[in-house]
This record gives sequence, structure tokens and C-alpha cells, in this order.
Amino acid sequence: MSTPDPCIQVTELTALFQRVYQQRMQDMPMVNPALCVEAVGFRPWTDRCIGILITPWFMSLIALLPSDEGVSPPATDEKCHYQFPSGDYDFLVCYDEQFGLYHSCSLFSPMFDFPSQELAQQTALAVLDLLWQAPEGAQPAQAPRVEATGKLSRRQLLRGLRSEDKP
Amino acid sequence: MSHTETYYEVMRRQGITRRSFLKFCSLTAAALGLGPEFAGTIAHAMENKPRTPVIWLHGLECTCCSESFIRSAHPLAKDVVLSMLSLDYDDTLMASAGHQAEACLEETIEKYKGNYILAVEGNPPLNEDGMYCIIGGKPFVEQLKHAAEHAKAVISWGSCASWGCVQAAAPNPTQATPVHKVILDKPVIKIPGCPPIAEVMSGVVTYMLTFDRLPALDRQGRPKMFYGQRIHDKCYRRPHFDAGQFVETWDDENARKGYCLYKVGCKGPTTYNACSTVRWNEGVSFPIGSGHGCIGCSEDGFWDKGSFYDRITDMTHYFGDQPSGVKQFGVEANADTVGMAAAGVVGGSIVAHIAASAIHRARKNPDKNEQPAETQGSND
Repeated sequence: MSTPDPCIQVTELTALFQRVYQQRMQDMPMVNPALCVEAVGFRPWTDRCIGILITPWFMSLIALLPSDEGVSPPATDEKCHYQFPSGDYDFLVCYDEQFGLYHSCSLFSPMFDFPSQELAQQTALAVLDLLWQAPEGAQPAQAPRVEATGKLSRRQLLRGLRSEDKP
Repeated sequence: MSHTETYYEVMRRQGITRRSFLKFCSLTAAALGLGPEFAGTIAHAMENKPRTPVIWLHGLECTCCSESFIRSAHPLAKDVVLSMLSLDYDDTLMASAGHQAEACLEETIEKYKGNYILAVEGNPPLNEDGMYCIIGGKPFVEQLKHAAEHAKAVISWGSCASWGCVQAAAPNPTQATPVHKVILDKPVIKIPGCPPIAEVMSGVVTYMLTFDRLPALDRQGRPKMFYGQRIHDKCYRRPHFDAGQFVETWDDENARKGYCLYKVGCKGPTTYNACSTVRWNEGVSFPIGSGHGCIGCSEDGFWDKGSFYDRITDMTHYFGDQPSGVKQFGVEANADTVGMAAAGVVGGSIVAHIAASAIHRARKNPDKNEQPAETQGSND
């Protein structure tokens, strides 16, 4: 059974946030009117689609999910752990009634650091370059991994410590 | 040969088991964002390094910092850190009182000249020659200067010591003054918050005592490991902000749905602290989790910035053009905000720097690969 490419949702995602901008964010002081809603650099990764969404009030890494992966609202404070070549990231699980689930990791908000859309685009592309690169001096990249939420328990923490502490 | 006790020896003497000690080390490593592998480093340092004495002074304050500290979320951390500090002088916690207490202070200063850490809770009032806060018959500012003279470093606990807090709010009749404006010749580490988070306090102390150096500080002198992000950056209600879903009035339907509290005054977008990640009461919750917006208690001058329930509307500081005399939330808090909007330029190097900072902030435990030995404190 083939799963539809989650990247086909990028247009829908952009339309969703354009609607949010028009309907809910007008006249909000947190909005930078020099910017507009734009999706940058979305590409497939494992079974999801990763890229950056620029809006006049935030810029975030976004993970779009396969359409068959859950449609119900997430639990409060639900997170998803992503392992990219550059390191580990926690994404918040977000939900829109029409769009469904997606994951988001904040980069900038508000967006007043960006006097132009061009600068926001360049920054987004630079962030994505860094996201897919291992940091200097880091261990070789491990296999990509996505883990559903869960805080590290004390027991897990202790187990990690003990296994490494054994002489 | 005289023997100076190590932290570990002090802890064992206090009845803390080795198992508890190792557990504390792993919890602290995690709290510091250093990764579990550094638990062994912390344990080794504490087993071998002689104990660094801490003098804890109290000026104009409400003791909420001490209350937070001694109720450190994990009872173990509280026991270990309190044992570790052994608080040679803390007029709230120590057993001695009166002349005996002041004698303890002098003895500690003399015995450990140049080697002790001075922790200050509260601030000195300078008006009327400091007469608004008298300790042992003398103005607190004198005690502060005297204790700081031979201190290795100074920790400013809480917003009182860091910024002035409520007693420095306009019109500041006692001329309450933050510690770094009185102690000019020592590194001052600010741990703002009203009060600061217990894990942040114990984490910073543990870092300084075990690694014998200052943690990396931001431009305002706050440890980057705990004050590198705003509440807003990691807030669990952030998806609602992004989606334009706001609580409009208290107890409306949106409040019940847990929407973003920005419109009812949340200062999360402009407040640098670890509340949304470390949280309070053993990580259970934080103000936003209880349905109340952040009041920005760890930011400079938060008492003079209008009602806790006024929404943030003035964004002028982002343009480097703030009205004179008005303290803005987050001003100069982040070096990244300096360049782009103010300079208004599109430059490859600026973009690369901002992008690198953003990905660093977004990464989980961004500092875990940094060796503490390479982490040099700065106080610029």
C-alpha cells in the first residue's frame, strides 16, 4: 500500500496560514507587514515532508505527515522527537480541524528582525542547509529517527548513566 | 598535611548515599543540558575537588529566592546542594544568630579569601547612606562590598539582585540598586526571576562549584543554558499563537480550549527564562500551564511596564529605535536582534550567523557536545 507524498500538502498548508493571516492576525502588533506567508525548501524525509514556513508573525520548521497518520487532536503538550543530521529537535504536535496534524519547531517569533521577505527567505534556506548538515566535530550521522513524544524518565536517565559508568 | 573536605565527603557526612549522589549527578547533568555522559564528570569533580564555600547575603528582598531554592523540585537536589554549599553564612538558613553569625561571616571571608562564591539575594538601597537596610548594625551595602572584595565570583539571585525588582520600581524611594551596579570589579552572574526556578539555581551553583568556572553568559550576564530562549519559543500553547487562536477574555470558550494568552497580557514573547521547558514543582507546570499569562518577572523593570494584563503592543525595540527612557522587554537580550532590523541589510554573513543561532536554539540540548572545560564565562 503506497502512502501519498506528504509534500503535496504544502500548498494547502500555505493556504491555511494565509487564511489565518487574513482572518485572525490583521491589526495584531506581533505581525510584521513587510512579510507574507511562504513555504520554503520543503522536501521529503523518511515518510514525511520537512521545510520552513515563513509568516509575518513566525518562522518555524514544519513536518508534514503522511495522510494516514492520525487525524484526531493531539493531547495537550504533545511533542515529537526528530533526529536530523545536525542533531535532535523537539517538534510540537499541532492540529487544525481542516488541515489535520502537523509538527512545528519554532525558529523565530515575532518576525521584526526581518525587514524584507528576501531576507527571511535567505535565512530559511540557510537554516535548512544547517539542518541537513552534521555540526563540525560531531559524530557521524545516525540513521534518521522519529520518536513519538515522551519525556526521558528518571529510570531511563539512570540506566544510561549506569551502563556508561561501569568500569 | 591539612585536609580540606571534598563535596562528596561533605555529602556522605550529611547521610547522603552514594546511590543518591550518583542520581543527583545525572539529574544535574540533564538539567544543565550537558547530556548523561557528563554525569560521570560531575561525580568525579565532586569526589575530588575541595569544597568551595558560599556566602549567601540578603539585602532588600522577600526571601522567595531562598524559598524556591530550598524547595528545589527534587528533594535530592535540595539535600545535596544544601549540603554541598554548607552555607557558611546565610542569615536565613544558618543556625547561628547575632554577633556569632557576623563572626562566622568574617571568619569565612578571612579563611577563604579569593576562593569563595558570594551569592546575593536582594539588593542594597543606596538612599540615605543605605539606612533602609541594616544588617548587624551597618548598612547592607557595606556588608555587600566587604564580602565581595575577596569573592571569586558573585551570583545575583533573583530579579531583586539582578535588576532591582519591586523595591526599585518607580519612584524607587530607597534607591534600591542591583548588585552589578555596586560591585564593579567582579564577575556578576545574574539569575533573574521572581523567584528563579529552583533547578536553575541549583544547576548554576553546581556548575560553578564542580567545574570551577562561570557558565557561558549572554550579553546581560545571564547563563545562556537557562536564559537563551524566550518562554514563547518553547511554550506548549505556541501552536495556538501560530494559528491565531487567542483567549479574548478570561474564562471565555477559548480559555477553556487552552488557546494562547497573548491578548490577555502574556509576556512570554519577550521574556527570557526556562519556565516553559524546565517548569516548576518537579516539572509539573508553569503559569501559562495554569491558565495565566507570563508576567515577565525575569525581565528588567517588569514592574514599570504597565499592567500584567496589558498585551504587548510596543515592538519598537526590534527596530533599535526605542523611545528614550522606556525599558522594553528583551532589549539587548539577544545579540541576534541587533543587526538585521537595525542595519536593514541583506548580507551573507549576517544571514549565516542568524541561521546558525536559530538552529542552535531550536536544537535539543544544544550545548551537550560542549565540554565544560571549554566553556568560558564572560561578563561583557
